[in-house]
Amino acid sequence: MIAIETHELSKRYRRVSALTECSVTVPEGRVCALVGPNGAGKTTLLRLLAGLARPTGGTASVLGGAPRPDPAFLAGIGFLAQEIPLYRRFTAGDHIRIGAHLNLRWDAGLARTRLEELRIPLDQRVGTLSGGQRAQVALALTLAKRPRVLLLDEPFAALDPLARRNFLATLASAMAEAAVDLTVVLSSHLVTDLERVCDHIILLAGSRVQLCGDIDTLLAEHKVLVGPRKDTAPIERTHKVVQKVATARQSTLFVHLNGPVIDPAYQAEDVTLEELVLAYMGADEASAGKHLTTVGEGS
Amino acid sequence: MTWLVWRQYRAQAAIAAALLTVAAAVILADGFQIASHWHSILVRCSGNSTCLQQQSALVNGVVSDLPYISLIVPAVLGMLWGAPLVAHELEARTSDFAWTQSVTRTHWLTVKAGWLLLAAAACGGTITALTTWWSGPDNARFASAFEPGHFDTQGIVPVGYTVFAMALGIAAGTVARRTLPAIAVVLGGFIVLRLVISDFLRQHYMAAVTTYYNVTGAFTPPGQAWVLAQGAVSQTGRVVPTGWGDLYPALPASCRQLLPGTPGAKAGASLNAVLSCMQAHGWRGFATYQPAGRYWPFQGIETGIYALLAAALIAATFVIIRRRDA
Repeated sequence: MIAIETHELSKRYRRVSALTECSVTVPEGRVCALVGPNGAGKTTLLRLLAGLARPTGGTASVLGGAPRPDPAFLAGIGFLAQEIPLYRRFTAGDHIRIGAHLNLRWDAGLARTRLEELRIPLDQRVGTLSGGQRAQVALALTLAKRPRVLLLDEPFAALDPLARRNFLATLASAMAEAAVDLTVVLSSHLVTDLERVCDHIILLAGSRVQLCGDIDTLLAEHKVLVGPRKDTAPIERTHKVVQKVATARQSTLFVHLNGPVIDPAYQAEDVTLEELVLAYMGADEASAGKHLTTVGEGS
Repeated sequence: MTWLVWRQYRAQAAIAAALLTVAAAVILADGFQIASHWHSILVRCSGNSTCLQQQSALVNGVVSDLPYISLIVPAVLGMLWGAPLVAHELEARTSDFAWTQSVTRTHWLTVKAGWLLLAAAACGGTITALTTWWSGPDNARFASAFEPGHFDTQGIVPVGYTVFAMALGIAAGTVARRTLPAIAVVLGGFIVLRLVISDFLRQHYMAAVTTYYNVTGAFTPPGQAWVLAQGAVSQTGRVVPTGWGDLYPALPASCRQLLPGTPGAKAGASLNAVLSCMQAHGWRGFATYQPAGRYWPFQGIETGIYALLAAALIAATFVIIRRRDA
């Protein structure tokens, strides 16, 4: 089942295009990395999916419905904004009570247990907690809604490495405990943050989708071809060259394979997720495609 | 939702209650003193109006400005409660938390704005009840309750001002998304609207009554009426307000000569002679006023105007909050 699907979703703020014709699909139960440089449109996409912003074009569907600010839709999603929005003068316990008042389905015990395990005081104003503790409080509150889709915007931005690990551990246990398949979208501008937990990726650059799909499949479909410096046209006829670097002696091609590489002059090397992301980010300036299949004329 | 509002505002509610108590204590203490002073005057003069006029003022100096607190409270509430109501949530991003729980933004705003409007109206109402009571002796003595400056600080209109200032703050904060500009809008908007309504619109709520009388006589509208204009009108319909400075050039030459202390004044000139002369030339005295019986209808109309404006602002806020991006 598809948890999130968008079709040519666009958002313009006056003259600035924050998201352009974004078409992505995230199957249910996936942990999806939403990566891209700052200003690529990650936050915009997440806010559109959470129903906090309205699209100026295209459509979005989350759990089968268009994002909108009504209880039926909101009950299914958990959204955690980058700024970790909490009432600074309220305690974590206050927030848990608020959640109980504002949600029909609310697992206060879950939030309380989780924060007690992490030794985060429930009776202290959240404004006085550390950044890592605040993020944990916000995550616990988001999870207490028992959402089916979790949208996390740059949750690691303010966290030190230990807090990151704790945050991910909380997330992992939530996924394990979830009765229904929990779909997670996590945004970050650093792919290394997400490599270990994610099995799906959406890459945004310049307000457009550069890449979207299952990480293992994408890694298998992409190779770095290293060979002598010669005409690359034959390769480009069969495969999609994402990035091309030519030195005096050799050329290095980052390609999206379309069948086996026949030319024995080229040596095919596996790519890492980071290389994959960097290649497509680099490809953004020269050519911008709206979908994976149209990306990659080379830079 | 109500619990969230209570949690958010319980500290402010306590402060407001404390301030209100202090204000009430001061107004009550002073008011009882004025009331007893007024009673002693009434007893001493026992219905003699000359005696009443000769008594010293009931209130002096700064204290006489006390009723203006019922104009200040609405503005302050609009700035401190109205302006940040939506704007601060947007600024602190807590709207992202509140609006991704399972309640509609409409519900959120209804409960939050509803309680705050109610609380503000209660504060405004309490203060106004106190100033109205406090002004009682002064009103009785000068028959001034309907006059600008008194009308505005008593009765029910300040409650309308409070609700309006709150609504203006809420709407401005929603549009501007920031508290500070919204506070400026409340202050500016409240002062300007109040000026326009009290100085230009209020006198037209109902067609004023004009009474003509002999210039040699005198006329005071009965009760606590609001006199808009008083003066003399010639046979040809020339209207001149009270005051010899304006009247003198308008008078026929024969009457002018009877005004003492002017160049070419005749022997035996006196004010009464001038008035008799004017009477002979067909001049009449006139008073244009809103009768005392219209005090409460006017209070109702003015409160209604502010309440309607507030309702329009709140309605606009709902539309914006529902439609616009968080």
